[in-house]
Amino acid sequence: MLKTLLERFHRRDRLALARLVSMVARGERVEEILAGVGEPASGAASAPRGPARVIAFTGSGGVGKSTLIGKLIEQVRAEGQSVAVLACDPQSPLSGGALLGDRFRMPVRPDDEGVFIRSLAAAGGHGALAEHLADLIRLLEAFGFDVVLIETVGAGQGDTEVRELVDVLVLLLQPETGDDLQWEKAGLLEVADVIALHKADLPGAERIEAQVRATLALGVSAGLSAASPVAVLRISSRSGEGIKELWQILAARPLRRGRRTSGRDLLRLAQQMLAARFAVAEAAGQSELQQLLAAWQQGEIASTQAALALVNLLISAPFQQV
Amino acid sequence: MIEPHPLRVVLAKVGLDGHDRGIKIVARALRDAGMQVIYAGLWLTPEAVVRTVAEEDADWLGLSLLSGAHMTLVPRVLQLLREAGLEHVGVIVGGIIPENDIPKLLEMGVARVFGPGTPLPEIVSFLREHSGASHA
Repeated sequence: MLKTLLERFHRRDRLALARLVSMVARGERVEEILAGVGEPASGAASAPRGPARVIAFTGSGGVGKSTLIGKLIEQVRAEGQSVAVLACDPQSPLSGGALLGDRFRMPVRPDDEGVFIRSLAAAGGHGALAEHLADLIRLLEAFGFDVVLIETVGAGQGDTEVRELVDVLVLLLQPETGDDLQWEKAGLLEVADVIALHKADLPGAERIEAQVRATLALGVSAGLSAASPVAVLRISSRSGEGIKELWQILAARPLRRGRRTSGRDLLRLAQQMLAARFAVAEAAGQSELQQLLAAWQQGEIASTQAALALVNLLISAPFQQV
Repeated sequence: MIEPHPLRVVLAKVGLDGHDRGIKIVARALRDAGMQVIYAGLWLTPEAVVRTVAEEDADWLGLSLLSGAHMTLVPRVLQLLREAGLEHVGVIVGGIIPENDIPKLLEMGVARVFGPGTPLPEIVSFLREHSGASHA
């Protein structure tokens, strides 16, 4: 079943891609899938591609993330590049249900195979990201998309985890989003690579630009963010102002992702692998795991000691098949 | 070893029809029942709807029509779903559908037609009961 799906994936079957996205988003057989898509069978239609340019968009709800992405899709397609969009919307912590309504604002020609849009439900507590986002990016990259655009839930302040997963993080602000003290709070302004002041056709756009620039200048004068200057520009999806310029900036930023610089990337991968092995062993009712858990639950061993024993168990030989 | 997962339901309006109150109420009910609802919006072509179903890997498609064009648009959507290899996706229809047309739509392959006044739990339980075992 998975083998057939992977074969279809390598023949660039979009339904197979859609199904694999579902499986990875649910955390189902992720390691197998990523291993499978990474190695196209001989004679497969999919040629090895360069890394995709991965750009995330954050900003509070209603700031216009979906609409802007819709405009950028047009821009990317006009340059002949292919683009995938992962649009995250919140999932109810109560029912587990979600209303995913982003693609509504991203009109695409129905027969345009160069675009793939997928809505994802993001559970809380993951920095406003759908689970397994890094794996989903790898999947889309393997399919051959040149550009991957990610719309975060837009939790606002503190939504910074996404930065590590992407090449460029764009923060959207709009007129009347608070006074300049808001920008002094730690969080978004620190991590954004590009700050787009959206709805620039509305009154107040100049003022917010001045506030943001002044706040950023404070950081520069303190010698903090001189390494990679943050681009700031005014844009409007309604009038089209600045959209082309924004894309030029995004396309010119150096690719940050996958450069194997951050030890944290490796740590995250290790954590994911352990979690996947744990999930499989738990579902299978593996006896050594059950004994360890029982001993811990009954207080026979301390938590830190049990955690170490768990790691040793998960990296031991019987678990490596997982 | 596949765990149950939430149903994914695409809700859409096809053709020239701006009445979206009903479909939004259904969207809310399905969301509150724990389903993942992809609201595809208004004024869509059958081609755009089928594309959405494909990309979203949906289990169900709900079409709302209050325009009177259901006998043209619904068969077109069903045909495009089959051509796209999406015959496993169940289709339900809501809106203003004259009683005489309901058997015809069912014959074409629509799973169920829900008219005005349908209690929302009826739609929720229909989707649950007619989905495979792999769904929560």
